[in-house]
Amino acid sequence: MAPGLGRDLRHHPAQAFLLLLAITAATATLALGLALHGVTSQPYQRTRAATNGPDVVAYLPVLHRPGRVAQPPAQVTTLVHDPGVTGHSGPFPLVGAVVRARGRAAPAEAEGRSQAPAVIDQPKLTAGSWVRPGGVVIERTFAGALGVGVGDRVTLNGRPFTVAGIAVTAANPPYPNLCYTGGGGCWASPIDRGTYPAAAATGLIWVTGPDADRLATSADPLSTYVLNLKLSDPARAQAFANAHGKGNNAGLTSSPGLAAWPGIAAADGLLVQDEQQVLSPGSWLACLLAVASVAVLAGGRMAEHTRRVGLLKAVGGTPGLVALVLLAENLIVALAAAAAGLAIGFLAAPLITSPGAGLVGSPGAPSLTLPTAGLVIAVALAVALAATLAPAVRAARTSTVSALADAARPPRRRARLIALSARLPVPLLLGLRLTARRLRRAVLSAASIAVTVTGIVAVLPFHATARLTRFGGSAGLANPVISRDEQMLTVLTVMLVTLAVLNVIVTAWATALDARHSSALARALGATPQQASAAVSAAQVLPALPGALLGIPLGIGLFALASGSGTVTVPPASWLAATVLGTLVAVAGLTAIPARIAARRPAAAILQSGLG
Amino acid sequence: MNETGAPILGARALRKEYGREAGLVRAVDGVDLDVAAGETLAVMGPSGCGKSTLLHLLGGLDRPTSGELVLAGQRIDHLGERALARLRLGTVGFVFQAFHLMDELTAAENVELPALLAGVSPRRARRRATDLLEHVGLADRARFLPSALSGGQRQRVAVARALANEPLIVLADEPTGNLDSEATLDVLRLFDSLHTAGQTLVVVTHDARIAATADRMISMRDGAFVDETRLTGGSTGSLGTLAGLEG
Amino acid sequence: MQQEVVLALLAKEPSHGYQLRARLREALGPVGDAMNAGQIYVTLTRLEKAGLVASEPSAGLADRPDRKVYALTPAGQQRVADWLTEVSWPRPDLAEFHLKLVAAAAAGLADPIAIVDTQRRELLRRLRDAQRAAMAEPDRSAAGLLLEGIVLRLQADLRWLEACERTWTPRRDQS
Repeated sequence: MAPGLGRDLRHHPAQAFLLLLAITAATATLALGLALHGVTSQPYQRTRAATNGPDVVAYLPVLHRPGRVAQPPAQVTTLVHDPGVTGHSGPFPLVGAVVRARGRAAPAEAEGRSQAPAVIDQPKLTAGSWVRPGGVVIERTFAGALGVGVGDRVTLNGRPFTVAGIAVTAANPPYPNLCYTGGGGCWASPIDRGTYPAAAATGLIWVTGPDADRLATSADPLSTYVLNLKLSDPARAQAFANAHGKGNNAGLTSSPGLAAWPGIAAADGLLVQDEQQVLSPGSWLACLLAVASVAVLAGGRMAEHTRRVGLLKAVGGTPGLVALVLLAENLIVALAAAAAGLAIGFLAAPLITSPGAGLVGSPGAPSLTLPTAGLVIAVALAVALAATLAPAVRAARTSTVSALADAARPPRRRARLIALSARLPVPLLLGLRLTARRLRRAVLSAASIAVTVTGIVAVLPFHATARLTRFGGSAGLANPVISRDEQMLTVLTVMLVTLAVLNVIVTAWATALDARHSSALARALGATPQQASAAVSAAQVLPALPGALLGIPLGIGLFALASGSGTVTVPPASWLAATVLGTLVAVAGLTAIPARIAARRPAAAILQSGLG
Repeated sequence: MNETGAPILGARALRKEYGREAGLVRAVDGVDLDVAAGETLAVMGPSGCGKSTLLHLLGGLDRPTSGELVLAGQRIDHLGERALARLRLGTVGFVFQAFHLMDELTAAENVELPALLAGVSPRRARRRATDLLEHVGLADRARFLPSALSGGQRQRVAVARALANEPLIVLADEPTGNLDSEATLDVLRLFDSLHTAGQTLVVVTHDARIAATADRMISMRDGAFVDETRLTGGSTGSLGTLAGLEG
Repeated sequence: MQQEVVLALLAKEPSHGYQLRARLREALGPVGDAMNAGQIYVTLTRLEKAGLVASEPSAGLADRPDRKVYALTPAGQQRVADWLTEVSWPRPDLAEFHLKLVAAAAAGLADPIAIVDTQRRELLRRLRDAQRAAMAEPDRSAAGLLLEGIVLRLQADLRWLEACERTWTPRRDQS
């Protein structure tokens, strides 16, 4: 068994290497896709646990009396002593402030905090340290939108401050979906960002209590206190809020606004939903395409094996032995590829999932877990097994002689096609005939191209929807939701396009290797190197065309399926046309390279090496 | 037997080397050769003597390391790939031991391929292919794939293909090497009919039987010619004595 | 012409001399071309004297000089049966040529390689004659089979000559 395997790898190093490369890319994509998928699930809950988030947040309005220092309102005592309340933090003063940083200005709410950590809702630092006099902590998404980091200088209402830290909280949805404090509470309804005025998007900043007091001006005085409450039964949070506050009665400044945690989570979801809308289907897409491309590759290898199955049987191999030899071969390639793919995924995953990269709203996201690794290896092994089963079954069924011959299909009488093909230029005609008689090979390369185009087309709707959600009339600050979406989209697009390009390269090179003898022969008969390589390219592009066209509906359907929305988003026709044309040109170009390299060698050498 | 004419193929000090320094192999080592129009020439030698390389050089399938090569009055030893391709297309017809038919093409498609490459109209190319297949006795196999043909039939298709562009010279490399005795006879008969029609033919072989049917035979050893025999003179004995019949 | 061959040709049925000749021609093809037309009658006469063949005048065809019909006698039939079971095979005389080379080399009289070359050219010409005759025969004819035998034997001889050449070449270098 081992000598046969070694011989195969030695004699077909190019094919084995290409297969290894492709499965590696596919498993790496799969590993990354799975890692991303894990990251986006339940980020709010993770943040809530990390910060001991409140069950209800009460926004308590204070009536401003000129000349007197504001005092926490009386409702605090009522709420804190409610039998359902088991703990609280605050009340913390909340002041409106205009933040200026790096020449940009944005409205913000500054929350006055103690320098000692709060029992409930102590924001989780993702960078730097907690508030100190003159030092502020900025909510992470807001900081990202402002473009500031730890140590940067900012001004609040004209007063200079240093950014001491960056943090996340579960008491408020991240920028730009901050809860309205004007007695409002949180809205869980999605905001139409097309008409949403950028100026109204308010950020959250934590300062020390004394700093908060100093920020209050006569024009914008301290008007609200924030009280975080922990309930004995968190499930009753919404009922509690409804009973004690005036929920959605915006504008009644004398009533407290109470926000229950499910509402905050839902508003938080506005951001996370978007991330998931990209990441979750994106990761599923990556996984599906990775499996599809590996299946196509294994299928190609299977076809290659047919002849060797015949050889093994001819020297007395039983079907069982034949299956074992094939399995050993495929397993080694698949395992090596899975290991390499996991290694790449392991190295790359933190780059796009770590909190510092600003991609995902929760700290401490896992990058690559044991179940993920297990799944990747399982997929690789399953593919190897599947790739072995089919030829093994065929080995048991087909006669030794016909397997050895591995003959082309006899032509059927298709007078119309022949008459049509006779009018084509010679390279195209030759390519067409070569393709038509090697149907299995043609179907495989068509499938491979279909998978490739499916991947690209499935990414296109993301870009199309991303354009729709762009902030209308953006006043300086980028909408972090959109920029995050685009970041993730870039990562996903790069992943899928890399996979697609590798698919095309592998398919094209395998075909070119296959066609080496035919093209050398055509040259021996007097075809110029250009004609010979054009024929090889034509033989590859012809099945690629239906494959590429098939990829369009598949890609659109796959996106609809993966996004779970059920709505079909059709990317602009020009994009689709560019995808198909680009793929075909890439196939033709990539096939031409090995063909041209071969064309520089004398035809005699190739023909003679083909004798063995 | 028709008369042979002026040389149409000439080689002077033809040399082909592979590898370098210690690994240097002189596959063809200083060969002088003239092939007259209408002549059938056999180059005979054991495998590895360089006869296939010589044939590839003569047909422009490979380029010599040094030496002069003239085909139809044109120096061809320094031609580029494109020019060599044109030369192979119109002037030379190849027949290989391994047949080298395209497995994906039918017999007729294989035969018409060189004509199509030469820019002949598809209709005329197909008609010529049909004629040639009839000439080699395979008119009824035109729509068969090579895998459905016997070895002898495949080689006859290959010969028909070599004739597709009415080449000045046909070069055959061990054309019967993969054939049984009966199929060999078929191919030899085919070559003989070509010879009668005035076709110039060079055959390299290790089989004396094939070589003996030529007008002239050259023995090759280690890349060089060692002996030359004109065979058209006839032998001293009669066939009867060869068979053991006493006069 | 071997007597047994003529006897065997008569085994099928009593025949005229010219019928025997036609049968021989068919079986031998071009190989029989050099055969003397009268030879078969000489052989028949001898066989008749030996009592192996009997003849009687034929009925019609007065215009033909050959009017006798020949038939096997019981002794003739016995002779044919014995001949068919006989094991005989022509022995090629290779020793003579071999000794010629040895002697030529030893005495320095001639170059063994030159002798081999001359011999090969002769054999090649014979091979050519036989091969061309074989090509002219239709497939699976009796004469074609005989010619193939000739061709194969000549091929074997040529191969032996190649071996001779290989063996004698270094010896020449040494001397």
